[in-house]
Amino acid sequence: MLKLITNPIGLATLAKREIVRFLVVSVQTIFPPWISSLMFMYIFGIALGARVAFPIEGMSYLQFIIPGLMTMHLISSSYENTAASLFIGRWHNNIQEVLLSPLSYFEMVLGLLAGGIARGILICTGVFCISQIFFRQGISHPLVLVYFTLMISVIFSCIGLLAALWAEDFGMVNLWNVYVIFPAVLLGGVFHPLAMLPRPLQILSHFNPIHYLMSGMRYAVIGYSDQNLFLCAGLALVMACAFGFITVYLFKKGYKLRS
Amino acid sequence: MRDSTNAISIANLTKYYGRTQALDNISFDVKRGDFLAFLGPNGAGKTTTINVITGLSNYQSGTVRVFGYDVTKDYRNARRLIGVCTQDFNFDPFLTIFQLLIYQAGYFGIHSEEAKHRAMELLKRFQLWEKADARYRALSGGMKKRLLLCRALIHDPEILILDEPTAGCDLELKFLIWDHLSRLNKEGKTIFLTTHYMEEAEKLTRTIGIINHGQMMCLGPKEEVLRNKSLEDVFMEITGIE
Repeated sequence: MLKLITNPIGLATLAKREIVRFLVVSVQTIFPPWISSLMFMYIFGIALGARVAFPIEGMSYLQFIIPGLMTMHLISSSYENTAASLFIGRWHNNIQEVLLSPLSYFEMVLGLLAGGIARGILICTGVFCISQIFFRQGISHPLVLVYFTLMISVIFSCIGLLAALWAEDFGMVNLWNVYVIFPAVLLGGVFHPLAMLPRPLQILSHFNPIHYLMSGMRYAVIGYSDQNLFLCAGLALVMACAFGFITVYLFKKGYKLRS
Repeated sequence: MRDSTNAISIANLTKYYGRTQALDNISFDVKRGDFLAFLGPNGAGKTTTINVITGLSNYQSGTVRVFGYDVTKDYRNARRLIGVCTQDFNFDPFLTIFQLLIYQAGYFGIHSEEAKHRAMELLKRFQLWEKADARYRALSGGMKKRLLLCRALIHDPEILILDEPTAGCDLELKFLIWDHLSRLNKEGKTIFLTTHYMEEAEKLTRTIGIINHGQMMCLGPKEEVLRNKSLEDVFMEITGIE
């Protein structure tokens, strides 16, 4: 690790720039997911939740959807942050400031990921704090939560960077989010346990990686999971490493960054 | 291993954009402390050569070294030594010009306090200090050109690569930039300049290189290249432009 980071000041500078970038526009980047979470918790958890025939004993529907909402916003915030930052950099060509610097490709990716990870964690923490208005509860497994929060934010920050490299215009940046990630997140179990789905959809859910990430987060927050925790943790690690490797590789190759 | 004689060494460099050959097996060296005018018509390969040296372009074959450091294999050491003044105003639109220089210094591993000191000094030197809190879009064209120079110089590079730095400048700004470039070269910086202004190349530089259709047509000390002719005549003779 020490060998991989040879320009710590450069890395810290890029990370700081990425974090400051979303903090200065907090009205657009931080408050909207918190407000929508508040609405979801009230409407689905309080207003409709009481009427749902919830199949898990000893748990309210609201309690169940809190980790789902945390995961949903963790995923979307991490993705949106890195995708927007890198694509705007490509659009204005100021990504060249980073490309001309003596940062290694690994450091460039790590610095850009910092914004997505920080924003994801901030949003996720905020959603949990908001949930305390409706349902007072602690975190069941704090270390597991740290692990999954970090892994999920790394995975989707990397996917955001990949989308920004692939995209040719602003519309394309959001295509993956709209057509792939968001449906997979919803089907992954934000609002429902596996047992509530018809059998064919239950089988299909086993092929949705986001379902495992969601299950890991749910275990961390409320101690309940649809899947084996070690399987969830292992899959998260493999995905984070794989997407991280692909992103650094494309930076090294200069894919759509160098002519 | 660091080479203390040649600032830039290019050997058998070939570059294609798809099927179009942009650079055709070019080789040349730029001595440390030299002031090179790298000339050629539009599309001759000037900016491509710069992009390869700075790492903004991939290439198919050949070697490019900066003070002995290979720009692909040892790119971190090579980039540390280069300051680039691009043709475009490729600044981060969300930062003030002072922040822009601080961040740029940071990427090069310069501590925040030192970065602030250098940024202040450069902005004063290029008469931009009163605009330190403005975003680059609020600057005039001439100010943006000066800001490009400040950014290229913030990490005190040994080589300054300038891609048409005076294009579109008025006379006053052109003279100001010329004055700074001469001073920087006297201070020991190697300067690699591309320009379409023959007068600029003739007045400022010591070495002339001409590229056409991706091939190096000539490279040598100014006096040898000119041989009592004007640079414009030599340029037209070599490139076949009438």
